Amino acid sequence: MEIEKGKTYKYLREKREISQAAKDNLKQFIKIKKSILDALQESDLTIDQLTQKLSIPKHEVVFYLMSLVKYGYVQTGAVDDMDSYFSYKLKK
Amino acid sequence: MPEKIINASYDALVIGGGIAGGEAALNLANNGFKVLIVEKDLSIGGKMILLSKVFPTLDCSACITTPKVSEISRHKDITIFTESEVKYIVKTGEKSFNAQVIRNPRYVITEDCTGCQLCEQACPVIVSDQYQYNLVGRKAAFIPFSIASPRVAAIDIENCTLCGACEKVCPTKCIDFSQEIQEYDLEIKTVVIATGFKLFDPLLIPRYGYGIYKNIITSMQMERQLAPTRPFNTILRPGDGKVPDRIAYVLCTGSRDVTVGNPICSQICCMYSIKQAQLLMGALPMADVTIYYINIRSFGKGFEEFYDQAKGMGVNFVKGKIGKIREKDNGDLIMRYEDINENVVKEAEHDMVVLSVGVLPNTDSASLFTDGELKLDPFSFVFQSDPLASPAKTSIEGVFVAGTATGPMDIPDSILSAGAASSEAMSYLIRK
Repeated sequence: MEIEKGKTYKYLREKREISQAAKDNLKQFIKIKKSILDALQESDLTIDQLTQKLSIPKHEVVFYLMSLVKYGYVQTGAVDDMDSYFSYKLKK
Repeated sequence: MPEKIINASYDALVIGGGIAGGEAALNLANNGFKVLIVEKDLSIGGKMILLSKVFPTLDCSACITTPKVSEISRHKDITIFTESEVKYIVKTGEKSFNAQVIRNPRYVITEDCTGCQLCEQACPVIVSDQYQYNLVGRKAAFIPFSIASPRVAAIDIENCTLCGACEKVCPTKCIDFSQEIQEYDLEIKTVVIATGFKLFDPLLIPRYGYGIYKNIITSMQMERQLAPTRPFNTILRPGDGKVPDRIAYVLCTGSRDVTVGNPICSQICCMYSIKQAQLLMGALPMADVTIYYINIRSFGKGFEEFYDQAKGMGVNFVKGKIGKIREKDNGDLIMRYEDINENVVKEAEHDMVVLSVGVLPNTDSASLFTDGELKLDPFSFVFQSDPLASPAKTSIEGVFVAGTATGPMDIPDSILSAGAASSEAMSYLIRK
């Protein structure tokens, strides 16, 4: 197969099978990302509130939420009166 | 398999691009020798480049490492192979070694990448970021970390779905999925081993609950939380995102413990824990920090004063041995420990526990030499055949060792050791 600059991924696709784990991981992230962003569309939420809405473990919410903060989808909001838990909001 | 083998020759092969390997390479190159650094990771700088601050001065670690790494990267007599491994080395004669090196594809043309991160933004995949010790995610097309050297993107091919999003947005068309493994056949005159150390895996002590209870983290995870390029906006519990109030350190996790096969002291855990405790008190002024220790070993210059400073700041030191850690429903942790001074078993509650993990040998270099044995010491660090007169000398003539490949030590000692290794290598190279 001829290798075309800027489209070399097609070349590797011919040669290498994408692992099922990589496909599953992508599907899971897309699903969780959508549910977090949808939930934050309504109001600012804490991790505890997000966990209740999404029904996934808290530590997974922390991991995905912080990843969305890192990549600019979400930003940190205010901290509660006890200085213990932050709320998170969509980055506009 | 590689299509062709590339031949090249260097005066010195430095295995490992951490602070010891970098220092040794720089000394050799500054004296006119041509040096090749082979680094298995995507960036040079080793563990030091990922630290927050150094003890006991509390100088910014990145501020010390970055200029050094930059000098190494730009030196005309230093060639760096990242994401590469030495397959084997054969001694072919006096001041003559043959080394086979594998260079794994980065899938990015490093010379053309500007580090713009557009590929990273476009990539739809999220996986654990190993450079943030899995506290947060990273993309499959990513720059390892902001001060990486080279600061160039890489593709994590195991997690890439080959969607092409990165390639479509790359302004310099530097992403190249046609890259393959390159094999090098090198003629070398001397070798410096600077393969560093491995960190103890706390999963090997199940009673501590690491991996089960999410608010128990390792000292490297706390190091990342305290660094300027941290994963979160402040110090947070990974289990629920709470700002912790009561933080405990468990010293000697995987050190001085025959039950996990590591009977020796790691030499750095006491001081890096005290350093982190001081930084935590700066980041979270209202937090209580408790350090559970067997003995505090503050043996270096300024270390005892640093320990006194931590006590003065309010860090609570408890001479105690941890039996077990269990979790409450709210994620808080109950530590059951033996109070060594009072000789009673007690329990204490904390929001977050940091396991001060110890230093283990990296034995990767032991199997590299196909003729002639690279001897290891009883603890599996590289054996120093003449530690007083010639500390970098190994069991193979012309092969020298630098830094923590010889045993646990702190950063200044690693740099001193690298100085010794480069001096001995130079002396070997110019000897008639």
